[in-house]
Amino acid sequence: MIKINNLHKSFGDNQVLKGIDEQINHGEVVSVIGPSGSGKSTFLRCINLLEQPTQGDILIDGQSITAPDACIDKLRQKVGMVFQNFNLFPHKTVKQNITLAPVQLKLMTPKEADVEAEALLEQVGLKDKADAYPSSLSGGQKQRVAIARALAMKPELMLFDEPTSALDPEMVGDVLDVMKSLAHKGMTMVIVTHEMGFARDVSDRVIFMDGGVIVENSEPEALFSAPKEARTQAFLSKVLR
Amino acid sequence: MIDAINASLFTPIGEDGLIGIYLILNGLKVTLIVTFFAMIMGSILGVTTTLMKMSPKWYLRWPANLYVSVIRGTPVVVQLVILYFIVLAAFDVDKITAAIIAFGLNSGAYISEIIRAGIQAVDKGQMEAARSLGLSHGATMKEVILPQAIKNILPSLGNEFIVLLKETAVIGFIGGVDLMRAGEIIRSRTFEDSVPLFTCALIYLLLTYSFTLLLSKFETRLKQSD
Repeated sequence: MIKINNLHKSFGDNQVLKGIDEQINHGEVVSVIGPSGSGKSTFLRCINLLEQPTQGDILIDGQSITAPDACIDKLRQKVGMVFQNFNLFPHKTVKQNITLAPVQLKLMTPKEADVEAEALLEQVGLKDKADAYPSSLSGGQKQRVAIARALAMKPELMLFDEPTSALDPEMVGDVLDVMKSLAHKGMTMVIVTHEMGFARDVSDRVIFMDGGVIVENSEPEALFSAPKEARTQAFLSKVLR
Repeated sequence: MIDAINASLFTPIGEDGLIGIYLILNGLKVTLIVTFFAMIMGSILGVTTTLMKMSPKWYLRWPANLYVSVIRGTPVVVQLVILYFIVLAAFDVDKITAAIIAFGLNSGAYISEIIRAGIQAVDKGQMEAARSLGLSHGATMKEVILPQAIKNILPSLGNEFIVLLKETAVIGFIGGVDLMRAGEIIRSRTFEDSVPLFTCALIYLLLTYSFTLLLSKFETRLKQSD
C-alpha cells in the first residue's frame, strides 16, 4: 500500500536520508531500528509529510503524496501517527482529545464520536479516564490515549515514532500490549523503536537503518539471529548484549 | 503641608479661577480615555499584524515587519509628535484622537510581538499532532494552538496595558492635558512642586497597582485549569 522511491531528505547541508526504496504491504507490521541519527524518525515523518522530502516519491495506494496537487489533509486522515512525546492536547479532556478530529472533519456526529471514543478507551484499558485531563495521566496512559486518538480517524496505516522511549520502564508493557493487539487485528504499522524484543515478536519485517540508508531488511528471525551486514551485527551486539 | 495641598489643589490657581483638583481629574479622564481606546486599537492592529507576519505571502509579511521594526525602534514620544504635527497636520484632528491613534499604533506593534511569542511558545508537537490527524492549518490554530497560546498571551497583554497607561504621560508634548500635564500646569502656576507631582505619581501608582492585583487574580484562575 505504500511505495517509497529514492527518498532523500536534507536539513540544510545535513543529508539525513540518502535514497530509501521500500515497499510496505497492506496488513504488514514493519519495525525500523538503528542507531540514533540514522534517519529512522525522519523516514517515518516523511510518510505523512511532517517532513517534506527533498527528492524522491512516496505513493500511498498508488497516489503520489509528494505531487504538488496532492491533498495532504485527506492523506493524513488515512495515516495515524503516534509520537514519542504523546502530544496530547492539554486543554482538552481525554475524550475530547479523541473526538476532536472526527467531529471537526465531519466524519462523525458528536454523539457517534462519543460512542466511538468510549469504545476505543475500553480497548486501550482507560475507560474510567474519559473525563480526565492529560496532565493527570501517567506517561503510559497518555500514550494509550494518543493511540486511541489516532485510531478514532479509522486510519489504514499507523506510524509509531519511538512510542515507548519517553516512558518509565514499568509503563512500557501496557503500551506494547495495545500495539500488539492492533497488529493482531491486521493494522498496517510502521514502528520506529528501540524495543528489540517487541520488534522481534510482533513485526513481519525489520528494517535496519544507518547513515540515512537501509542497510538490512528482512524477517525478524533472520535479522536478529543471523544478521548479514557488519553494521547490523555491530549494532545488535551493542543493544542485545 | 496642608497649606500646600490647599493652595495647589483646592483653591483657584489663576485668574481664570481654575481649581487644581478639577484639572487633575480632567487630566485623569484624558489619560484613561486615551489608554482605553489605544488598547482597543492596538489589539486589533496587533492581531492583524500577527496574521500578516505569519502569512506565507511576502507582500503581507514585509509591511508588517517594517511596521513593527519602525515602531519598536523609535521613542513613542517621537511617534506622537510626528503623527500630530506632520502626518495629521493637514486633517482637523483633535489632540485626544491624535494621541489615541499614536498610542494605538505603538501598542499594536508590541501586542503583535506578544501574540507571536505566545503562539510560538506552544509546543510544536501540538501542531504536528493535530495536522497528522488530518486537521487543516486553520482548524488546528483555532482548536489547538490558540486556546493554549491565550494563556501565554493574557498576562503579557495586561503588562502591556500598564506600560501603555504610563507612557501616555507624554501627551503634553502635543499640548494635550492628561494627568501628567495637569500636574505640570499646577506646578507652573503655584510654584508648588511636591503636591502636584506626588499627586500625579500616586494616581498612576494606584491605577497600575490595582490593575496588577486584578491581573494576578486572573492568572491564578487561569492556572487552576492546568
